[in-house]
Amino acid sequence: MNSREDILGRVRARLGRNTENAVTARKDIAAALAERVERPRPAVPTDTAGLVARFEEKSAAQSSSLDRVAALADAPAAVARYLAGMNLPLRAVIWPSLAGLDWRAAGIEVAPRGAVDSDLVGITGCFCAIAETGTLMACSAPDHPATVSLLPETHIALVPMSRIVPGMEDAWNLARAELGSLPRAVNFISGPSRTGDIEQTIVLGAHGPYRVHLVIVEEA
Amino acid sequence: MRVALFVTCLVDLMRPRIGFAAIELLEAAGCDVIVPAGQTCCGQPAWNSGDRAAAAALAKKVIDEFAGSAYVVVPSGSCADQIRNEYPVILADEPEWQARAVELASRVYELTDFLVNVAHIGTLPGNFSGSVTYHDSCTGLRGMGIKEQPRALLAKMSGVELKEMAAAEECCGFGGTFSVKFGEISAAIAAKKCGNARASGADAIVGGDLGCLLNIEGKLRRLGDETTQVMHITEVLTAKN
Amino acid sequence: MESRSRHFKANAAASLANPVLQANLKTAKGKFVDKRAIAIKEIDDFEGSREAAKNIRNRVLENLDLWLEKFEESATARGATVLWAKDGEEICRHVAEIGQRHGVRKAAKSKSMLSEEANLNLALTAAGIRPIETDLGEYILQINDNEPPSHIIAPVVHKSLDEIADLFHQVHKTPRKTEIPALTREAREVLREHFLTADMGISGGNFLVAETGSVALVTNEGNGRMVTTLPRVHVVITGIEKVVPTLEDLTLLLRLLPRSATGQSISNYVSVLTGVKTPEELDGPEHLYFILVDNGRADVVGTEFQDMLRCIRCGACMNHCPVYQTIGGHAYGWVYPGPMGSVLTPLYTGLENAIDLPQAATLCNQCGVVCPVMIPLPELLRRLREKQVEKHLRPWFERFALKIWARVAASPPLYALGSWLGVRYLKWLAGGRDRIAVLSVAPEWTLGRDFPAPEGKTFRELYAKRRGVR
Repeated sequence: MNSREDILGRVRARLGRNTENAVTARKDIAAALAERVERPRPAVPTDTAGLVARFEEKSAAQSSSLDRVAALADAPAAVARYLAGMNLPLRAVIWPSLAGLDWRAAGIEVAPRGAVDSDLVGITGCFCAIAETGTLMACSAPDHPATVSLLPETHIALVPMSRIVPGMEDAWNLARAELGSLPRAVNFISGPSRTGDIEQTIVLGAHGPYRVHLVIVEEA
Repeated sequence: MRVALFVTCLVDLMRPRIGFAAIELLEAAGCDVIVPAGQTCCGQPAWNSGDRAAAAALAKKVIDEFAGSAYVVVPSGSCADQIRNEYPVILADEPEWQARAVELASRVYELTDFLVNVAHIGTLPGNFSGSVTYHDSCTGLRGMGIKEQPRALLAKMSGVELKEMAAAEECCGFGGTFSVKFGEISAAIAAKKCGNARASGADAIVGGDLGCLLNIEGKLRRLGDETTQVMHITEVLTAKN
Repeated sequence: MESRSRHFKANAAASLANPVLQANLKTAKGKFVDKRAIAIKEIDDFEGSREAAKNIRNRVLENLDLWLEKFEESATARGATVLWAKDGEEICRHVAEIGQRHGVRKAAKSKSMLSEEANLNLALTAAGIRPIETDLGEYILQINDNEPPSHIIAPVVHKSLDEIADLFHQVHKTPRKTEIPALTREAREVLREHFLTADMGISGGNFLVAETGSVALVTNEGNGRMVTTLPRVHVVITGIEKVVPTLEDLTLLLRLLPRSATGQSISNYVSVLTGVKTPEELDGPEHLYFILVDNGRADVVGTEFQDMLRCIRCGACMNHCPVYQTIGGHAYGWVYPGPMGSVLTPLYTGLENAIDLPQAATLCNQCGVVCPVMIPLPELLRRLREKQVEKHLRPWFERFALKIWARVAASPPLYALGSWLGVRYLKWLAGGRDRIAVLSVAPEWTLGRDFPAPEGKTFRELYAKRRGVR
């Protein structure tokens, strides 16, 4: 008997599984998979101003820095200002999906590809953003490589205001509606990487980025 | 109001004055108190040690002994919890006994809870004067919801100043048989409780469970503290200076 | 990991006598307990959330066989290979085979308690694969001669900054750092190289989502993302009890887990990984394996201990446990310490191998009230004590003492006599003082404290006298 049969067999025996209750059970499984039950959720503002304020508050609490621009076209200039202000090079690896923005006009040299170790700055968008916890939802795709938000020390994310949702449930609803099936990697990112393993003292910048800068785009 | 007192074996053996203080308080609240003669132990040591048979036998004994009383009052959160919350579990395999256990549970009260919420005691007979800090015994707190009741009673005494300690709700390390099986760990936990209690600056450490109090007092004295008093709540409420 | 739970008492004594450990435990307690309390307030309806979480977990356990099949189906449909392991040895065999198949020389690991259960690192090394722990705490343990973890969330909670600074200095052969950020930076640089050159990433799995065939990883450092994005092979090792039905169920549990564990509203990274990379994608593993592990779990299903399988490994129970707070994790002797460890260790490694663990608890229920999935931990510990009695695993003098007490308490005349004698004996032991320094009948009590003397007469005799009854 292989291990699968051994393990499942013992579980079945202990549950008293028979053909009859298997029928009822499968119904419960189907029901569980189909239902979208309202569960206790903390109150989060649902008006735009409240949502954005909450998102900004929570992001700041997690040590992300924030900026706002009116239109997507304004984003490259805002990013250039940020990089200059941080004494960082005006050079970044970016999501290929963002290649259409005028980075050159802002003086930033961009590489639309997956990130490599020597990249210091990574610029991404996001699928949506969660106000409750100040979290970005990034879905992997050929033009959204996961390494861009992971390898570089500095991660800059463009956050369309219209894509800020109250909670993770809302994020999943969007994903179900727009993507159908899940991408290979859904990464929920809440600020710079950190560790508390040494004497329970939080230090930013463990293996992921040291700093996360969010540019909220009002008209997007 | 007719009340039957479940004295508890610890009070019976170690501090009878707590039993008498309990009676005094109940009578001050206008109750007639009877003390069923054959009572011994609620069976908690047996139950917590895994001896189901012994625990069940003692549960049945208590159920029989206190069958007729309108109220059963216990000067201990853990013993009251054993009777109210554990007896129905212990006797789950015997439906008739379990029904009687459930019925008894509806009549069982920890003493301070009874005085405040059922008997609505007015003036307290004691005139204790001094500062106290209150230790919330685990089972009393988390099993029986004892928190505000003793504090409400202490607040009625003009001479009492309540100084809450840090981590009042944390375990003192007694744990019944734990204290005699893992004495070192138990004493180390007790040391923390003593530290917090002493830091409050109170003259007396007060609580509702004698097991906790014996543990705390024993540790205090071994630490060299001869001045901080350790008293059961009934003793404070009936103290005559 | 080899179980050392048989040496609990000796290990606990050593912990009590260790001033560095005691100081670290004190600091850790303040951080974990206080932060959790603040974070829980954000949830609004904590009790309602716990209830919902409990129901989600129970729903799966009640039909675990079918949920596992559903997960397997969903994961396989997305290109993953689902394997099954009965025990630690089989986990190791699977991983070694996978390594061989894909020419793996180096494996980067993010946290997996199951790999600890299985001694995986040893087996990998024997198979010619170099394992690198990348969770900072686990890495520190690895370079310290594979020291075992002492907490499931904070593996080196027992270590001080100085100890870690010394260790890095010795092992990395770098100048000795004195600040935590500098040490963290050093670890980042050392491990970066390994992330980039590892052929295989090994992770645990906080949850398996049956609906989508996904694994959810809850991390802060970024190492979890590294090991599941860069190497071409990803292996997930996790227990069969980790399945949850839907993404929404996952969301509720994610609200409770980080808050209960470290007091964070959400962990830095939550990665929900499904299947392998498509040819067009620029990163991600080409091969994904799930190893679904039994190692004692299947045999808990359908028993009086099934509630324990709801555990989501948050660590709140041990953070709030007065015993854990006093002796730390190593004393428990196996992978899982504190209350949850005291239930799992006897269940997974054998009752007779962990006799002290269910006994070394005050049953205060500080654990039960913080458990996000409402596991009745004190009751489970009590049931394990009952099992010990049934299997005659208790020492003879304990059985004897309890038998005597039960006999005496059942008989009022015997009790009257016994208590009359008992209090007078104790009074005599006190020798006129108000306390007893050495309690001969229960010497453990007086190891660290005095035993107050009884009044000298029983309530029953005094009450009878007052009533004029005799």
